[in-house]
Amino acid sequence: MSQKGRVKNLYKTLLYYGKDWPNGYDYFRTRLHKVFLKNKDEVDPEKIEKMIKHGEFVIKEIEALYMLKKYRTMKRRYYND
Amino acid sequence: MSGLVRNIRLFSRNVSYLRCYTTRPACVILKKYNNTQIGVHNNGIQLSAAQTRHYSPEIIKPKPTEAEIKERVLKVVASYDKRLILPHERSYSSKPPLTLKLIADRVLLVLKLYDKVNPDKLSLESHFINDLGLDSLDHVEVIMAIEDEFGFEIPDTDAEKLLRPADIVRYVADKEDIYE
Repeated sequence: MSQKGRVKNLYKTLLYYGKDWPNGYDYFRTRLHKVFLKNKDEVDPEKIEKMIKHGEFVIKEIEALYMLKKYRTMKRRYYND
Repeated sequence: MSGLVRNIRLFSRNVSYLRCYTTRPACVILKKYNNTQIGVHNNGIQLSAAQTRHYSPEIIKPKPTEAEIKERVLKVVASYDKRLILPHERSYSSKPPLTLKLIADRVLLVLKLYDKVNPDKLSLESHFINDLGLDSLDHVEVIMAIEDEFGFEIPDTDAEKLLRPADIVRYVADKEDIYE
């Protein structure tokens, strides 16, 4: 897959992960769009590769965030403090 | 009469000393008197009922013929058939029947609801990037919205080619086997 395709795929995956964002999907979407647009003029393949890696790292972070949120919600249900 | 009796009994229940001394015997007597009166009435009714039992000859019909019975039964059966057969069409989770026009309407509706598209400029032939002023990231979002609308996934290689609403309509129609 070309690098452009990978970037688009990353964007799509991130959008999918943002559907349950605590501040709402629209908040996530506008921010994500801004972040992607900020680096739209990058041409160096190595730097782009680095950014894609960073994006994949962010996906993992979002996943961890959701797990933490779920864990905290469960904990709040079982313990009062 | 019985209403009066009930009132007295309720009253006496509330006021306990009255119940003990005076009104209870009175109530019992009243009830007894009541019962005997009802018995007298009942006897009268039974007597009169026995007297009025006679059948009028007009009411008795002749026995229906076989053809009449057949017609009647078939009428009932037919009405049951109608009720049982009509809602027999199975439509558990089938999609609504798609036509090209319906697909086009749904695609345009999705695009109109997307906040970055200007609904006045939108038509089937307008190019997403050149005419509507979307960037490639918005294009990805549009494709995702279309995927959600029609319930199947569009691979990235195909998504790159869908640059106008008309292309999307054609692609969806091809996928769902809809032809003119």
